[in-house]
Amino acid sequence: MISFRPLGLLLALTVIAPQLAAAQEAPPANSASATAAQAAGDDDPDRDFNRSQPDFVVVTLPTTLRVPKFKSAFRVTHRFGRPLGQGDFGNLAEDLFGLDSGAQIGLEYRFGLMRGWQVGIHRTSDRTIEFFTQYSLLQQADHGVGLGVIASIDGTNNFKDSYTPMIGVVLSRELGRYGAVYVEPMWVNNSNLLPSELVDDNDTFMVGFGARIRVRPTVYLVGEYMPRTGNTPGVDHGTFGIEKVAGGHSFQLNFSNGFGTTMGQLARGGTASDNWYLGFHISRKFF
Amino acid sequence: MRFRVLMLLVGAAVFAGTTACDEALSDLTGPTPNLEPTFSSIQQEILNTTDSSGRPACITCHNGNPFVPGNFTGAAAYGALVGARTFEKPSLFRVAPGEPDNSYMVHKLEGGPNIVGERMPRGGGPYVTDGQMLVIRRWIAEGAANN
Repeated sequence: MISFRPLGLLLALTVIAPQLAAAQEAPPANSASATAAQAAGDDDPDRDFNRSQPDFVVVTLPTTLRVPKFKSAFRVTHRFGRPLGQGDFGNLAEDLFGLDSGAQIGLEYRFGLMRGWQVGIHRTSDRTIEFFTQYSLLQQADHGVGLGVIASIDGTNNFKDSYTPMIGVVLSRELGRYGAVYVEPMWVNNSNLLPSELVDDNDTFMVGFGARIRVRPTVYLVGEYMPRTGNTPGVDHGTFGIEKVAGGHSFQLNFSNGFGTTMGQLARGGTASDNWYLGFHISRKFF
Repeated sequence: MRFRVLMLLVGAAVFAGTTACDEALSDLTGPTPNLEPTFSSIQQEILNTTDSSGRPACITCHNGNPFVPGNFTGAAAYGALVGARTFEKPSLFRVAPGEPDNSYMVHKLEGGPNIVGERMPRGGGPYVTDGQMLVIRRWIAEGAANN
């Protein structure tokens, strides 16, 4: 049986960190300063809509958009199981382009613990649970690029079996108000689900390249490609799509060469380079 | 500043705690928890021992008996397996170093469609488990050393 130490550490982090954040943000001493603090909270620039980075992910890759302190966001993802190249167009249309097939569904919730620091959980319907965190180190307004560090761990069988931790960096460059591009090197440990005695390589190093380009005032084209070295089963993750942003919502229709949405799943690669699957995600910001 | 340092330390501790996530081989090998992808371990756990599932040891039959091909006992075992032509399919080696899929021992233990005679161990099971086969396959894939 696998040790539960990773789960214990993550639980400790999620319990202790909010208290530390609250302790650091001590309440003001009088009502005047409380009002000032409230006004400062309303002026939190993290709450402003960012036209270049309207969401916290491109398709699967994280962006450097920050979750405002004590605010949150929710996302639901779908990857339909029918390859789009299977059968002729008539068959595909009868199956509503894969919507009649089963889907791998993901539910995600993220929360801003303090300015620039977010944590979250993502569960997919193959019973994988991923805990993740991201900390913003640099913002483009001050340094010309956005930079964040990310870490995650996902575990199969409802976080009871194989654990796959990841650590990486998110580097972003906003293109004025017309989108952003991303480079995200990541190291994924234990990406092979077999014991290391039985595999040639148990780690995957991958670099995520992503872009989101605004083509209409609220419409974006998105794309990602993620070459890998080390343990590289399947094919390198690739995806592209179109996205519509409306208020605090974002709706994205995408096409991917696999079902992966957690970093461990992405490290294990897509199914085949000529198999593409329809998917979508809907996200909602609670601020 | 102190808080950021604390945060980085907490993050480092979390990551350090998660980097030892490798699966234990014993979780996979079921009735032979000490089985490893080495010849000595395979000889001890598979060839010589009837395991807790009831799968009989190979040397129950392959012990130098002139009516059973292959003597898998003691020092004779390695030479009788690795690079040794089979009686039933002379075009194949029992163990072809580096090629588990072309090793007749694997075919016989997994009950492949091209085997002659019964799947091993004979008698209808219990057979070598999938986890045990992964270990045997790994030893062959790594060159089937006499280690």
